[in-house]
Amino acid sequence: MNKTILTLFTLFLSVNIFAQQKISGTILDADTKDAIIGASISVKSGSEGVVSDVNGQFELSVSKSLPLTLIVTYIGYRTQEIDIYEAEEAVAVLLNKDYNSLEQVVVIGYGTQKRKEISGAVAAIKGDAVKDIPVQSFEQALQGQAAGVSISLPTGVLNAAPIVRVRGVNSISLSSYPLVVVDGIPVTTGNISTTHASNNPLSDINPADIESIDILKDAASTAIYGSRASAGVILITTRQGKQGRATVSYDGWLGVTNAVRIPEVLNAQQYMDIKNEAIANRNEIAGRNDPDAYFPQYNPDGSLVDTKWRDYIYRTAVSHNHTASVSGGSEKVNYYFSVNYSNQEGFLAGNDFDRKSVRFNLDNKVTNWLRLTGGASYNINTNQSFDSGSLPGESMTTTGATRLALVLPPNVQAYNDDGTFNVNPASNGTLGKGNNTANIPLYNPVSLFALTSNNSENSHFNGNIAITLNFLNRIELKTLYALDRLDHEDNIWGSPNLGSDSYSAKGSATNISDLRQHETWTNTFRFDDRFNNLHHVSLLLGSDLQTNTRSSWGARATQASDDFFEYYQGGWGNITASGNSLGKRVFVSFFTRVSYDFKDKYYITGNFRRDGNSALAIDRKYGNFGGVSAGWVLSEESFFKEHISPEILSDLKLNASWGRVGNGNLSNDYSSYDLYSASLYGNAPTWAISQQGNPELSWETSNQTNIGLNFNTLKNRIHIEFAYFNNNVNGLILNTPQSPSKGIPNNTILANVGSLYNRGVELSIGSEVIARKNLSWNISFNYTYLTNKVTSLAEGNDDIIGATGSGNTNITRVGEPIGSLYGLKSLNVNPENGKRIFLNAAGEKVQYDGISAWHYLDGRQATALTGTDYYVLGNALPKWYGGLNSNLRYKSFELNLRFTYAGGHKVMNRTRSTLTDQIFFNNSTDILRRWTTPGQITDIPRVVNGDRISFGGSLPIAEHVESGDFLRLQNLTFAYNLPSKVFSFAKITSVRIYGQITNVFLLTKYTGVDPEVSANGNSNTTPGIEYNTAGLGRTFTLGLNVKF
Amino acid sequence: MKKFFYKIIANITAGITTLLLIFSCDDSLNTTSETSLSSASIFETTERIEALVNGAYKSLKSSDLYSGRLLHCNDLRGEEFICLTENSLGGGYAWQQNLSSTTGEVNSIWTQAYRVINNANILIDGLAKSEEGLISDELKRNYTGEVRLLRALAYFTLVTTYARPYIDNNGNNKGVPLRLKPESTSANNDLERSDVSVIYQQIINDLDTAELFLPEKYSTALLNTTRAHKNTAIALKTRVYLSKHDFAKVREEARKIVAQNQPPFSAASGVEHRLHDDITTIFSSDYTTTESIFSMPMSASDPPSGSVLATVYNSAPNYALNHTEPGILSNIEWKDTDARRQFVRQKDDLFYLTKYSKVSPAIDYIPVVRYAEVLLNYAEAEARGGDLNKAIALLQAVRHRSDADYSFPANSLTQAEILNTIRIERRIELLGEGFRTTDVLRDLLTFPDKPSRSSYTSREVGPDDEGYVFPLPNNEILTNKLLLQ
Repeated sequence: MNKTILTLFTLFLSVNIFAQQKISGTILDADTKDAIIGASISVKSGSEGVVSDVNGQFELSVSKSLPLTLIVTYIGYRTQEIDIYEAEEAVAVLLNKDYNSLEQVVVIGYGTQKRKEISGAVAAIKGDAVKDIPVQSFEQALQGQAAGVSISLPTGVLNAAPIVRVRGVNSISLSSYPLVVVDGIPVTTGNISTTHASNNPLSDINPADIESIDILKDAASTAIYGSRASAGVILITTRQGKQGRATVSYDGWLGVTNAVRIPEVLNAQQYMDIKNEAIANRNEIAGRNDPDAYFPQYNPDGSLVDTKWRDYIYRTAVSHNHTASVSGGSEKVNYYFSVNYSNQEGFLAGNDFDRKSVRFNLDNKVTNWLRLTGGASYNINTNQSFDSGSLPGESMTTTGATRLALVLPPNVQAYNDDGTFNVNPASNGTLGKGNNTANIPLYNPVSLFALTSNNSENSHFNGNIAITLNFLNRIELKTLYALDRLDHEDNIWGSPNLGSDSYSAKGSATNISDLRQHETWTNTFRFDDRFNNLHHVSLLLGSDLQTNTRSSWGARATQASDDFFEYYQGGWGNITASGNSLGKRVFVSFFTRVSYDFKDKYYITGNFRRDGNSALAIDRKYGNFGGVSAGWVLSEESFFKEHISPEILSDLKLNASWGRVGNGNLSNDYSSYDLYSASLYGNAPTWAISQQGNPELSWETSNQTNIGLNFNTLKNRIHIEFAYFNNNVNGLILNTPQSPSKGIPNNTILANVGSLYNRGVELSIGSEVIARKNLSWNISFNYTYLTNKVTSLAEGNDDIIGATGSGNTNITRVGEPIGSLYGLKSLNVNPENGKRIFLNAAGEKVQYDGISAWHYLDGRQATALTGTDYYVLGNALPKWYGGLNSNLRYKSFELNLRFTYAGGHKVMNRTRSTLTDQIFFNNSTDILRRWTTPGQITDIPRVVNGDRISFGGSLPIAEHVESGDFLRLQNLTFAYNLPSKVFSFAKITSVRIYGQITNVFLLTKYTGVDPEVSANGNSNTTPGIEYNTAGLGRTFTLGLNVKF
Repeated sequence: MKKFFYKIIANITAGITTLLLIFSCDDSLNTTSETSLSSASIFETTERIEALVNGAYKSLKSSDLYSGRLLHCNDLRGEEFICLTENSLGGGYAWQQNLSSTTGEVNSIWTQAYRVINNANILIDGLAKSEEGLISDELKRNYTGEVRLLRALAYFTLVTTYARPYIDNNGNNKGVPLRLKPESTSANNDLERSDVSVIYQQIINDLDTAELFLPEKYSTALLNTTRAHKNTAIALKTRVYLSKHDFAKVREEARKIVAQNQPPFSAASGVEHRLHDDITTIFSSDYTTTESIFSMPMSASDPPSGSVLATVYNSAPNYALNHTEPGILSNIEWKDTDARRQFVRQKDDLFYLTKYSKVSPAIDYIPVVRYAEVLLNYAEAEARGGDLNKAIALLQAVRHRSDADYSFPANSLTQAEILNTIRIERRIELLGEGFRTTDVLRDLLTFPDKPSRSSYTSREVGPDDEGYVFPLPNNEILTNKLLLQ
């Protein structure tokens, strides 16, 4: 937008002054409080006008008598009318950005376009939307902000990578995470930590440094990124200085987070009663005579031990975040400099995130034909956590805090009477068993928290430099070199003392150093011209060379020579290699884009990219991708103008696009080869096959169609965008299952088999309900409806089974959405005998006796149900989702609400199986509803000690599959802008204070901790499982934005 | 002006094209791994071929097979252990006699045994095709013999775990799929099970060939214990024929390596196998005595992973020895003077097996075949239709090595009782070495119930029980459409 400033200067009007009244004031951006230079201020139904100066100030002499109305306009902003009653007081005018304007500049692949020129599907989000939200990485704050983009947090554990899906799940085996490009360079995404402390490197970007987030959704827009774009592209542009005086700003917040919706569990007495009752029931059924096994423990004062384990695990977390920046510029040089410090606590004990970052961006117009731009950021980012049990693969660990909080026996102490940890020397230092008879195989959280640690630290540099040559205002040559160097170190430590999970290893310390370097060299040639004011032609030619290297190495030391040592560098008896990896991935690409538009009415764009990817098989490395799109601004047509008033309908534009993009985001750099790995047999060197390659491995391709319709209505008050999309993904790279009897490593071979589609519609409605000086109210709403279906799989269309923990929970089957929920079809509890009734594969009702026997309802013996009796239990992907933003401003007050919603899907609440499991686990208070007497109708079967079937302990059951529909008030902000006279003496431009609540409320029938959590994180094939997963916290924030 | 303008464009376009061409050399896309070899170069040197052979051994040593899980499950199904914790992943399902097609060990043991078979098949095929003159024919035969022995042992593991015992229907029940060619593509997923007798025939064929191809001995005691030689094949055959109830063949094979009629027994040719004086030595300090015919070597750099036997039985035990009837520990004929009692430690009212005692790293070698087993195999074959006195002599050799002054009660050595006495001796001698399940199965005996110290309970399982042998793994059922035919 600042580019237009110069243009506006040239439009500067000189005003005749026959002054009776002088009106002065300042024009500011309503969000950033930046001065707006060159806004035009005019008198309604008068002739006087003026534009604002470099400080955003203006002075206007009017001949008309007061009161009068001023009209303030500026390109890209909504026009504002202000009533002036007296001339003495300076007016402050806050202009709101108009994100619906066709003049708005949107960042697209290798360039920018005005919104009206775009005929594909692009969503633009302003950086201010994420600036003040208490998150670690910007994309955690994007829920509900853009149609077609689904974002959810898999857990509230700090820095867990969010699940981001642009127009659905677009792959099965490869990443469905969009390509994230920061200032021209694709960066690493996903969790890179090898420890229990999650590490999403996008958190290295200070959200306050982001100017804009543009999401490319259809192939016509993304094809310019070719082979890596099938899951969409997120373009991050960091802030640049703006011409004008230097602006110094400070943004800070302080937040308090608590966990919400933690299930209620039994107290010690209830626990012992239920568990002993389960033993008695087993005795009765099996004709055994086992004694009680659960007995009370007493405190020194004689009271019953009744440990609330969750109080040791959850905490009230305090976080704070500070960003200071300086920006400004002259005609020649613009600069932006910022520093950030963020210190955030998670609601799980010991979960701490810390970021220190600096960024410097510079834009230097050396001459009228030469321009140098560059930017660099560096940060250090540390996350610490104990095993939260909430990251992928952690659902069933013996150290997972979330599960420990639920299941540990309440009749056992955390600390012994003498203050030492209550641990059991007979079972490797797991939690002491108190007076219960059996050992407890899970650890004591208080000893774990004292005797273990996980730490993941990033040292991350991201920089770029570009030289742009301009000729004749038509031709631009640009060369860009960008470097993203992410140096990451993981440390895991476990004490040799009892109570640590490294006790049997006599202590352990693991260090892994992981260097990921991305380099890009992009050269572009651009030609842009208008002929006869009718034709606008734009041509882009470019090449792109990307080299990603990764080198990680590390070691695990065990046998501490003294329990003093907490670091790998200490004294250790034994050292083995750990976390070694070495790889290189090269992408070589050529691309072109041609755009033509005629009379600002007809737009057509074609783009093409030829992409080479080193990870694919020899002779299959190159792929051709591209797309075409066309737009037609109907409202510019004379027939339209003749018949339809712009007050009713304006800016009507029809878009259509088709394109093909690829996906070659293989996790392994050498996926197509047979690989043999070296190891040892005792001390003898060995080679053995570790990967069966496929010499025909090639790209996944996605054919995407997009049809869009945009218009404004009701005097431009309502802006509506509608889109239909159809993505057909073919040649899916799948781990095709091999019969285990073939002995192929991991029983899989990668192959291009299978296909799926995502089809749906998107609707966005933006409305300027009220726009007065003192009162404005904007609402924007978006809705996406999406269907996902797998249309073919590997040879024979074999199902792909997905597991959570040790049990299968999901199935990817032809004709169903990817990763559907899968398990035993449980029915009701038989009121006669309290047994759970199931359907077997043949559709017959069978019941389980709680011990080992299966019977038909008439008492005949039935065969045991196994994995072959599983049913598809529901679709785990939301069919509809979206958000609603409401921004209300009254005088100096703002009230902003952000709702998100999703639904039409099911979530498997596997945590309920944990909470009702009939082993030593503590149970939720739901168990008090258990069946006890014949005729009783209840949803909880009779408790039988050791029953791992009726309650879903070992195999998932339909009983735990619940609707995932929800509405969440994601964010509520109440802000007050201090009147400028209060602080004008201090040269402060603006001060805004706000209070904010994140995750205010959740309306859902789902009984688990949160319908959005996912035990398997970003996995494509195992979505929709909550399994001992920590929920999302509720955060109260107080914040301050100051501008000098 | 316009002309000039287009000239510039033309020049610049040419420049860009040149720039593009700089990149178009495809070499930059041909990246290869710096840490792994591809199949193209794996058979290129003698060192790599030898390392591939070691790699096949390594796959047998997997924590799912002979360094952990297989042995563990085979012992837990028997009556010798009581369960202390509810740790399903540590063999809890096997201990409960509650295995299903989706149980972890049911799938992982199967998968790993076939990994061994495919590794062996890759080598058999690769050696046959390897460049002329790269390795000597002698070495080629040696390697081929080794991997055929490994293949035989893997098939024996599979057929005794997943198929009905041989004597049930005389080998005419369904066994397991028989794969003798390397698999490297997505083809051939479907393969039906061959009969038990066919699998046995293949095992014997492989072992006979191995005996023929393998060297008499290697240069070091370490190699003699960790790599297969002639006597390894012979020793394994005594186990296979015993399982097949072909007692005459057991005697025939055993005679090759148990040359004497009276103790001390030892092998007359090849590696001079004999019982070591002190059984505790071979589990704690000298892992490569001539008693250890074939063992899984451990080192600090290559310790066992997964369910480490030393951990689950001893250092952080999930299972204690069953000291009540019918656990072998309660047997009054197993005297306190017996050296093998040193493998039992008592804490409070429980007894733990300490045969494997080193942890972190767990560097105790784990035996696959010991000379003591061969003597007991031989004794049993003599007891079942052979020479009773020979059987007694062999039995006593094993007992007296650990309890020199012990004398068996007279009636226990009668023809009527000798088999039971040998069975008891096997349970004492081979406790914790993974023999109990196969010893029960091959004679169609019944697994007794046993007590528990956790909420898990076990049950009695007889030959007619659905859970008598391992169920077929679900992963194979899902992918191999002919498996259940």
